Amino acid sequence: MNSFTSVWARLRSRGRSRYALLAGCCFFSTLLITAYAFMMRAPTILEVLPEGGDSRKQMDMIFVLAVLGCGVFTAYAAGLFLRQRSRETGVFLALGASRAQVQSLLLPELCMLGLASCGAGAVLGAPLAFGLWQLFRVFVVDSSEMLLRFDFKSLVWPLAFALYTVLMLLWLGRRSVRKASIMEVVRQSHTAEPVRAVPRRYGWQGILLTVAGCLCGYLVPTICVRWLHWYAPSFFTAPFYLPALAGLYMMLLHTVANGWGRKTLWHRDILSVSMMRFEGRQTVRNMLVMTVLIGGACFAGFYAPMLGTGSMMSYDARPVDFAFHYRADQDMPQKDEVLALAGEYGVEVTRWAEAPMARLGVDGEHQVETEGPLGTTWEAVYSELDSSALFLPESGWNALTGESVDIAPGQAAAVLDASGSSQGRFDPSIGLVTNTATGESRPVSAAAPLRHDMLFGYFVLDDGDWAAMTAGLPGAWREEMVFFDVAESGDEYAFAKALFNEIVDRSGPEVALHSSWDPVVRQRCIEEEGSYFLDRESLLANGETAIDYSLRDSSEFRLFWQYMPQFRVLDKVDFVRTLAVFLILFIFICIVCFAAAAVIGFVRSLTIALENRRVYEDLRHLGASRGWMRRSARSQVRRVFTVPAAAGIGLIYIFYGMIMFFNDGRLSAGELAGLGSCLLLIAVVAAALWGVYRLAVRGVFRVLEL
Amino acid sequence: MLTVKNLYKSYQVGKNRFDVLCGVDLAVRKGEFVAVMGPSGSGKTTLLNCISCYTPADSGSILLDGVELARLKEDELAEVRNRKLGFVFQDFLLLDGLSVRENILLPAILSGNINSTAEARADQLCDVFGISAIRDKYPAEISGGEKQRTAVARALINHPLLVLADEPTGNLDSKSARAVIGTFEQARQALGATIFMVTHDSYAASHCDRVVILQDGRVRRTLEKGGMERGAFQDALLDVIREMGKE
Repeated sequence: MNSFTSVWARLRSRGRSRYALLAGCCFFSTLLITAYAFMMRAPTILEVLPEGGDSRKQMDMIFVLAVLGCGVFTAYAAGLFLRQRSRETGVFLALGASRAQVQSLLLPELCMLGLASCGAGAVLGAPLAFGLWQLFRVFVVDSSEMLLRFDFKSLVWPLAFALYTVLMLLWLGRRSVRKASIMEVVRQSHTAEPVRAVPRRYGWQGILLTVAGCLCGYLVPTICVRWLHWYAPSFFTAPFYLPALAGLYMMLLHTVANGWGRKTLWHRDILSVSMMRFEGRQTVRNMLVMTVLIGGACFAGFYAPMLGTGSMMSYDARPVDFAFHYRADQDMPQKDEVLALAGEYGVEVTRWAEAPMARLGVDGEHQVETEGPLGTTWEAVYSELDSSALFLPESGWNALTGESVDIAPGQAAAVLDASGSSQGRFDPSIGLVTNTATGESRPVSAAAPLRHDMLFGYFVLDDGDWAAMTAGLPGAWREEMVFFDVAESGDEYAFAKALFNEIVDRSGPEVALHSSWDPVVRQRCIEEEGSYFLDRESLLANGETAIDYSLRDSSEFRLFWQYMPQFRVLDKVDFVRTLAVFLILFIFICIVCFAAAAVIGFVRSLTIALENRRVYEDLRHLGASRGWMRRSARSQVRRVFTVPAAAGIGLIYIFYGMIMFFNDGRLSAGELAGLGSCLLLIAVVAAALWGVYRLAVRGVFRVLEL
Repeated sequence: MLTVKNLYKSYQVGKNRFDVLCGVDLAVRKGEFVAVMGPSGSGKTTLLNCISCYTPADSGSILLDGVELARLKEDELAEVRNRKLGFVFQDFLLLDGLSVRENILLPAILSGNINSTAEARADQLCDVFGISAIRDKYPAEISGGEKQRTAVARALINHPLLVLADEPTGNLDSKSARAVIGTFEQARQALGATIFMVTHDSYAASHCDRVVILQDGRVRRTLEKGGMERGAFQDALLDVIREMGKE
């Protein structure tokens, strides 16, 4: 050992655990970001999650939170590493080393450590994502859509994170040497990290700010669209969530510094509370990151139970077992063919009803958008021929539903869902209907709305009006709706599948249409813009997927084909397969975020133990019993886990409820049941966190030799 | 060797200003063993930190071998600390990851002067201070007294003009403290070291040639040992301290 470099190398070798901790944190963060980025940008996922859709937004939002969390976590790990090294730096400086001399060894070392650990994370991230996905395919669900393809451009995210990590390490390393105080090292003094006097009002102010932030963040975009007629860009709307983050920070600060309980038994926790105060800022930062990650994990995790419970309930609530509709110009299986097919599978059809429908033009408003420097603005323009809707004659309604409704001439009854809601998806109050073939228009007034889940969004006319208004309409504007029930016999699923295949096989390319495709809107768009965005050519030109009969089992087809039959048994059995990509993606995000939170909590707990080892040694000398010290250590670890878990889970649960409520101004039975099943997931998450907490406690006891 | 003239130092804590050193004058000659004593808050440690270049004085001057320390730049100060000064701290400040011998060699390594001569000197210092048997052990494996003797050897490795010791016996039991003070005497006699020590310990101070007594940031008394026996000198020191306590 004859140079400063060799002294440094010797110290590095003797302090391997510190290096391993920092490298591990950088590696883990990059691994997480790489796996997430690869998954997020995988063509497999992008093709299923529509651009601008809620699922895509949720996925992106959680990714941003995860990146921020990892950024704070690595900065924390670097700070801890440099604090542990500060004594060595101080001794070197005290013995006459120059700061430049120390920097010349520390900075390249940090740079190498950052590059190596982030590089390893970036290299292993894609295999991790792929491996997890394959495990899901093997053990949970598999479909042709789930063949995972990666876009290696996703590497830009881990590379950017690696760059941030290296720059951050260099900056913090340089600062630590510049600011290293020989005096502090020589006098063996601590740099305390006190939480400055935290007023107790921080508690309730934090709650208010958090609630206000969540409300503002969620409602501002809606207010911009509805009241200001402005599709505000995300850089304007996203900051409205910031008060929630500030509020969360205040709440955690209050929890660490003051606690929520009454002060009658303050002496019991005096040690753990005072230590937590000493560790204040770092602890609160870590707790905030954990809260955000646990929140992200729950936000993603709630997707499956919410969707699953709601969908299953809606399938069960359907008033008929089988329903399908088709355009009159299509050669579809008729009653005798269906009955014969059912017979092949031993299925007995117990009730059959069919009714004619017609597509008529309706008046209404549509949005005309204008691109501006601050985003897109829109104005509502009324047209007498604005869009189209499907109309049933009252006799057809009665045949399908078994009701005996009588609509007065000149009136139109809108069909709402079973709970009486339009779900904000169509305007039930039309004033004018038009036969698009003859051009004849007739004013209508609103009759009392009807309710039916399978006929939701349609209108019902008086038989006479319907006949008059649909006279002369060609087959492309006429449809047939078929309802039938079956007895519990035979292979119902196989029959449903066979009938579904028959319907798809016999559908022509002219009906390979997206569920929102509207011939009236199409006509207007083509006149005004030269193309219609839901036409097959436009979809493909925009890089989106179009309805493809060869992909009849894909989620795109099952969710968005305009003539998709509604067969209860098919929908229920194929539910997981149909939504496999959605479900697995969100389970993946949930696991990744949760694992990150668990690792951070574990590392933080061990750090508390390492930094307070001396205090516990002193307490032992003062006669503290093993049980008392164990209780005190456990209490600190408990705070690290329970506070973020309670805050993250609670906030997201409330936020989810809020989203469900503001969707259509109510909580439906399916949504309530979904929220109920989320409680089960919460129990699973809580149990898993408890397991990590137990491991952390054991680790802390080992470090403190308790 | 060392001359301190009219040294002032104060600390600002919030809106309050605390004057710690209020015009301190003293000098240490080559080969002298000088102690600074005084009650808590008298400014002993601040004086030592100013001389060590760890903290700058507000005014006044510190001349080390004729060089005004306040005029030196950061890198030049580091060189002074490395080549002209040796340090012994109350808490030893040995690096846990290095053996006793490596800790002793550290200042030489930092100065880039590591060679067989330096290694031979390290071995010589181990012999002089009776730590040869433990030279390959790590700090965690040796006693407090052995750690402090290692620290004294480290302070002397670069042949400094002056060894600065901050409460070197503060963390030691009486037996180890005696051994450490013994190393200082050996360093002076066998190696011609000049030592400036801050201490609370009248026993340690009684081994010095001269004891400077500080109170309220000023030099209150200076006691020369002269031809006095060590015990008599310690009694004289205790009398002075007792007198100061009555005032």
